Order: sequence, then C-alpha cells, then structure tokens
Amino acid sequence: MSLPIAAWYDFDPFRELHDWLRDHTADEVVYVVAAVIGAAGILTFVGLGALVNVWLERRIIGRIQVRRGPNRVGPFGVLQPVADAIKLIQKEVLQPRVSDSKLFNLPPILVFIPAMLTFAVFAWAPDLVYADLNVGVLYLLALSSITSLAIFVAGWSSNNKYALLGAMRVIAMAISYEVPMVLTLLTPVLFAGTMSISGIVDFQRHYDVWLAFLLPVPVLVYAVAATAELNRTPADIAEAESEIVAGYHTEYSGMKFGLFYAVELINSLAVSGIMASLFFGGYSLYGLDEYIPPWMIFIAKIYFFYLGLIWLRGTLPRLRIDQLMAFAWKMLIPLALINIAIVSVEVLLWRELELDDAVLGAYVAVNAVLGAALVVAFFRMLTRSYYRLPTRVRLVHDVSVPSLPAPGSAIGP
Amino acid sequence: MTELRTPPYVVNIGPQHPSTHGVFRLRVTLDGERIVDAEMILGYLHRSMEKLAEERTYTQNIPFTDRMDYLAAMTGNLGYCLAVEKLAGIEVPERGAYLRVIFAELQRIASHCMANGTFINDCGAWQTPLMYMFREREQILDLFEMTCGARLTTNYMRIGGVAFDVPDEWYPAIEKFIREMPARISEYEEMLLDNEILLARARDIGVLRPEVAINASVSGPMLRGSGIAWDVRKAEPYSLYDRFDFDIPVGHNGDCYDRFVVRMEEMRQSVRIIEQAFSQLPGGPVSTPVPLALRPEPGEVYARIESPKGELGFYIVSDGGPAPYRWHVRSPSLINLSVLKEMTVGLSVADAIVTLGSVDINVGEIDR
Amino acid sequence: MDEPAVIVAFWVLAVLTLGSALMVAVVRDLIHAVLFLILSFVGVAGLYITLSADFVAVVQVLIYAGAVSVLMLFAILLTPRSARDNAPVPYSAPLSALAGLIGAVIIFVAVQTDWAKAGDDGRFQTTASEIGRALLNPYVLPFEVASVLLVIAMVGAIVLVRPASEEEGA
Repeated sequence: MSLPIAAWYDFDPFRELHDWLRDHTADEVVYVVAAVIGAAGILTFVGLGALVNVWLERRIIGRIQVRRGPNRVGPFGVLQPVADAIKLIQKEVLQPRVSDSKLFNLPPILVFIPAMLTFAVFAWAPDLVYADLNVGVLYLLALSSITSLAIFVAGWSSNNKYALLGAMRVIAMAISYEVPMVLTLLTPVLFAGTMSISGIVDFQRHYDVWLAFLLPVPVLVYAVAATAELNRTPADIAEAESEIVAGYHTEYSGMKFGLFYAVELINSLAVSGIMASLFFGGYSLYGLDEYIPPWMIFIAKIYFFYLGLIWLRGTLPRLRIDQLMAFAWKMLIPLALINIAIVSVEVLLWRELELDDAVLGAYVAVNAVLGAALVVAFFRMLTRSYYRLPTRVRLVHDVSVPSLPAPGSAIGP
Repeated sequence: MTELRTPPYVVNIGPQHPSTHGVFRLRVTLDGERIVDAEMILGYLHRSMEKLAEERTYTQNIPFTDRMDYLAAMTGNLGYCLAVEKLAGIEVPERGAYLRVIFAELQRIASHCMANGTFINDCGAWQTPLMYMFREREQILDLFEMTCGARLTTNYMRIGGVAFDVPDEWYPAIEKFIREMPARISEYEEMLLDNEILLARARDIGVLRPEVAINASVSGPMLRGSGIAWDVRKAEPYSLYDRFDFDIPVGHNGDCYDRFVVRMEEMRQSVRIIEQAFSQLPGGPVSTPVPLALRPEPGEVYARIESPKGELGFYIVSDGGPAPYRWHVRSPSLINLSVLKEMTVGLSVADAIVTLGSVDINVGEIDR
Repeated sequence: MDEPAVIVAFWVLAVLTLGSALMVAVVRDLIHAVLFLILSFVGVAGLYITLSADFVAVVQVLIYAGAVSVLMLFAILLTPRSARDNAPVPYSAPLSALAGLIGAVIIFVAVQTDWAKAGDDGRFQTTASEIGRALLNPYVLPFEVASVLLVIAMVGAIVLVRPASEEEGA
C-alpha cells in the first residue's frame, strides 16, 4: 500500500530483501529470515519498552505522590533504568542452600517467555503481523495461564513457607480472574466473527466503530481482570504480601529479581496491547492511519492504557485476597456472562436477519444504557454492607464526667 | 466426612516491620487464614528512661519526654511540665500558656497526619496519601524549627512556660497554615473517606466494643472511635483549654475506619483551637523563672493530658531533692495495645496489620 | 504435510513428549514429575499443530498445561511430605511388563490402522469454526451433558470445602 508522505517507516529495505530472497532462494530461507528479523524487532520493542516503563512508572507515581521521581541520573532521570539494571546485575546472587536448585533458576526464564510471545500476534500495521494466528485470542489466554504456572514454580523452589503462600495466592487469583478474562475476550470475537487479532482490528476499521463503544461493560471487566492477572495494585497481594511475608520472588536476588520485575512491566504492555487491539481499534484511528504510521498509533494506544494502569497503581489501596476472589466470582463473572448473552443476541439479530450496518449505532446506545444499569445494580448489591453505618463521625461538644460505678458493679464481662 | 486437619502455625510479625511502627514484635498463631492467638513481645526499644530520670534534675528530664513518643514531642513535654508545675505549684504566664496550646495542637495535627498516612499505607496505597499528608507535616515541622530549632525532638516546653518566644517569621507562616489547612483536610476527606476499597479494608475490622474499651482503660481516638465521648481536654481542662470552643469527634462502630475518620476530624478541630488561640495571643513573658535545680516539696502528683495517642499521664514522686524520686509515665500506646489480641482474634493477618496501624502506637512510648 | 520442516518438527516434538512422559514415571520428586507432565502436554499441543488442529492445540495449552496441572500441583501440596516421593513400589517388575505389553498393543493397533484425515488437502486449515459447528449441530447432546457434568463438579467442590459448622446449624 502506498502512503502519501515520504515513507521512511514503510520498511522498504525489508520488502526488497523479502522479494530478493524469494526470487533467489528457497521458501524455507525466506521464512526463517523473516521470522528472525521479526523476532529481533519484537525483542527490541520489548526491551526498550521495559526500560521506558521503569522510568515512566517511577516518574509518574512520583508526580502522583506530590514529589518528583528520579531526576539525578541523566536529564529528567532517563538513565535511571540503566542504573537500576547495572545495580541488579552486579548484586551478589544469593541462593538458599536448601532450595530446589534444579528448579530455582528456571522461573525467571519461564516467566519471560509468555510475556514475549504475547507480542507475536499483535497487528502493528495492516500487513505487519508476526504470526497471524487464527486462534489469536485463545493463544493470548493460554499464555497468561503459563505465567501463573511459572510463578508457582518460583514460589515452590524457594523452599520458603511464605514464598509458597504467596505463590499459591497468586495462582488462586490467576485462575479466578482467567474466567472473566476469557468471557470478556469472547465478546469482540462474537462481533468480528473471527478469533484472529488482525481480523478483529479489520472489523473495527471496516465498520469505523471501536468495539469499546459497542461493548462498554466487557472493556471495564477486562480492565479489572487484567489488572488482577498482572498482580498490580489494587490487586497486588502477591508482591505486597511483604507487609508481613515476602512474595514469591523473595529468595531471588540480583538480575533474577530484575527479570521478574521487568516481566511485570512487559506484561502490562502486553495487556495494554490486547486492550488496544481488541477493543480500541489497534492501529486504526478513524482514517488517521493513512497519514501517520499505523504502528506508531498502536504504540501510542498501548502507552495510553499503560498510563492508566500506572494511575490505578498510584492512587488506590489494595484489596485483601478474599475480597479479590469474591469480587471476581460474584461481580465480574456474572457481568461477563450476562454480557455474552446480550452480545450473542445482538450478533444473531444482526447477522441472521441481515440488518443494515447502521444497527451498530443502535447497539452502541443500547449497550451503553444496559451496561450502566448492570454495573450500578451489581455494585449496589455488593457494597450495601459498607454503607450500613454512616461514614462520618458525630461531633460532641461537652463531655460529661461519669461518676464512678458503685462498688461491686462491673462494666462488661 | 472427615475434616481436613491443618496444624496451626506460628508467624512472627516483626520486630523489623515494613510498616513504620517501630520495633514491635507480634507472634500470631494462625489456623489457615484466621488468627487464633496473638502475643505481643515488647521491650525492643527499652532505654530505661524512668530509671535514668531519677539521676537528673527536673529540667534535664524534659528531653526524655521528647524521645518517648518521638512523633508527638510537644505534647510529651507539655504533660511533664504540667505535672512538675502541679507538684511545685508554679504558675505559667498567659503568653506561655497560649503558646503551649498552639504548639500542642500543631503537634497533634502532625502526629495524626503521620498516623493516618501510615494507616492508609498499611491498607495498601503505595504511599500516595502519606506523601500528601507529609506535605502538611512539613509545614508544621518548619514552624517548629523556626521556634526552637528542632523538627522532631523539640525540647521546647520548660517548667514554668516555654523556652523561647516565637520569631518574627513565625506569624505569617502560621497564618498561612491556619488559612490553608481546613481546605487540605477537606481534600483528604474527599479523596479518602467514601472510598470503597478503604471501606472494604477498614469497615468492621478490628472492632473494639465500648465496654471492653472502658475496662481496658483505652483512651484517645481509640476510645472515641468506639462511641464513648471522653477527652481529657474537655473532662479535666488543663492549660487554658476551657477557653476554647471545639468539638470532639465520636465514632459509631469502633472499627478501624471510625478511628481513621476520628483522627481526620480531630485535625480539623485542632485547627479551630489554633485559630482561636492565635487570635487571643497576648504579649508578655513566656515563662516564669525557675531555679536550675528545682526542689519541689516532697509529695506525689499525677497529671494527665490528651496526647494524640491518648491519655498521657505523668506520675512523679518527689522527695525534696533536685531529681525526682520516682518518675513513671502512663503511656497511652501501651495501654491501648493491651486490647490488640481482643481486636485481632478471628481476623486474617492482613487485617491484623491494618488494625495495628489504626491503634497508632509509638514504640518509643511503649518501651520508654 | 510431508515437507521436511514438518517432519523435523514432528520428530522433535515426539521425542520431547515421549521423553518427558518417561521422566514422569522415572524421576524421584513428585513435583518434578508434574513439571515433566506439563512439558509433555506442551509437546502434545505442538503435535496437534502439525496436524493442523490449531484450536485444539491452544485449548490443550490453556486447559491442560494451565489449569489441570495447577489442580495436580495443589493436590500434591495437600499430601503430607512423606508420601510425596516417586519411590519404587514392590511389584515394579511385573507392573512395568504389563505397561510395556499394553503400550506394545497400542502401538501395533495404531500402526495397523488406516487413518483417514478429514478434508485433507495438505495445507494448514483453520478448525475453530468447524469445531463450533460440530458442537452445536451433530454433537450438541454431548456438549450439554459435558456442561452439566462441569456444574456438578463445581457444586461438589463447593460442598466439599464448606465449613462443617454451617451444616450443623441447618
């Protein structure tokens, strides 16, 4: 496709390389070279993304807390992630003697693999997908379940009672929140009729409507479920178990801990990417992607949602584990199920009755109203007990000095 | 159907805490998630102040009171000086008394800022409200530093008044503070008070029933949170408190949330008192001259004040010499802590941490 | 599907799957056994991909490697430590002979069968929509029975872990 502006970003050298290889060598060579170059590109984005995210997170949370973030290392502290990485690399690697040494070094690597693999299915531009799987959405969900497994191995191989406790809580939360995630990620699939991510983005581009407008409640439910899967505040009992015990990465020092931390940030980017692709149009911006490189739009959207995640982290206190599980099972899953029912009916009417595409506008309005009513109703139902008592205190002006009780009488048991 | 038997196991919380409460050790016995038993082991910060005080003159003992409750030094000073003045029958001039009230209330606000900030920190918000409240606390500590040179261990009150008069730059600073603080407190209330997550974490957690509170002689915001209207400033007014018009906040349920809101409201009432005291501030000397080695008449005295943590009492026995014969502090944190087991049995460990945060202890005062 | 790349992938995945399955039976620590089992699940998922069953492969990873293995790990954690090693049992010789015999029978039958692949034209096909249609038209009854079974399992799990004191008061 040709773009009107001079296309330094059109990856022409890669296109020429591809054509040259295709004409001169076997198909397998083309495949392997394309795979290697694409993987290098994704790794670059992931690596740079981790660095940028460390800086962004610390500066923005600092600003939310009425203080500056790091500003000593480099202008505006931009070299702070580099300093952090160097510090972590040169730390002494402590390994407890009784830990399961064969398994101990595996989790940092194991948890990094799904984080990286998530980026393979994203559609960065209309013809720029690394692996256009037909089951892309399911693939993303499968990867998140592997992450929780790696965390369990981390907690187990530490041979530390508290690490195991933290790891088991993480797994309980991960499998609880996987259900709302699966259910809400099915609703774009229902509308688009395909499970491939580029197909869903094409649907949004073709009909010129973001699925976020058609599906407001699944977006909210997915945002909450993804925050819990990422173990970020307000659902970060895994790492903030350090109120009394340390989390699953307590026995990991140095760069192993650095890998866990980096993976949390990369997973945040991945989740933002999923949200941007499936619900907010991916690389398309209502026709603006004719003038701006689509992958820039996509990356901008990813960082927009990542800033939202940082905002949540900086402002909200955290919930207890049983409150989190109750929230998942009692509020998110019913909401997601009801939404699947509503969306299925809508899609059925639209496709079977071959209605006009303008009915999508009607769906936007209907879903917004229904969604608002549902969310408010569930919320009222679940938090009624908190407002049973007044949330303000009463003011007393005069104190009556009580007389001492008569000898022999007692107050209380 | 046979039950799954899991043996109870013992978890040691402390003595090194991530939460800023000091060196305090709590040994809890857990059955699954619930706490079955909670045992406190204190004494990690014991500095034998009460014994050391028997070797020093009354004026030399004032810095000890700074370091007992190091987050509320002014009120510690105030309690001690009131006790010695009651023992020795010394009058305090008006200006000194007004300055005492202003600084004591400023210290109350600073201590409550810290207490509420760390409480929400224990609830999980990564220090954001703490940083906001520290902004106000910095203003107050600047006021302290202007007057007596120190931010934390102020050593400002003397027997017979206060040590120094306030400098000129203090007046605009405190006017600015009085002007801005109510709006800031409203900002905190707006952000925090109806927050569902805070309610979920703190409502019905750590409930202290009123009769248990009275039985255990709990005092301060813990007592008022349980619904009992008692404040030493109103019940036995000391040092001009009967001249000021203020209310005391009283909670409904005795849980952590009520104590949190009580402390917030107390900050606002303290600003009221400071405003009235500042407008009525007279001129004159700030302290009565007192001999360096004061020898009060033999006798004993117990004087109590309302410190930010509760009722702080000083029991001094004099034998006519320059040093006290016996010096005992009724520390509110220690007495308030005695109901911790009652409050935490049946909760999970995370709730126990939140409850401990809402008791607002200061280990320096517990161990002395 | 006779390209050299597919054949290489098949052999690598087959060695991985069978090798880790063998390690499950051989290795001493039970947690290691479960981890090798997870590896064999992933290998099976890869084999599904070589058979052009993309949906089944991803669901295999999602369900088996993601959820069933977690279940097994939790079950192991609830057993006392002494019962947790993969120790040799008294009758291991006759039992391994029996297992070998069963394995040989299965391999013989599998090799002798004339497997017919549905809609095979040598290329990779997408199967998700086919499976969906199949589940809702010819196979709808097993689909519904399976969901009822899952509900029964969930209700049973909740009944199992309810605290006994609630039942006493009823």
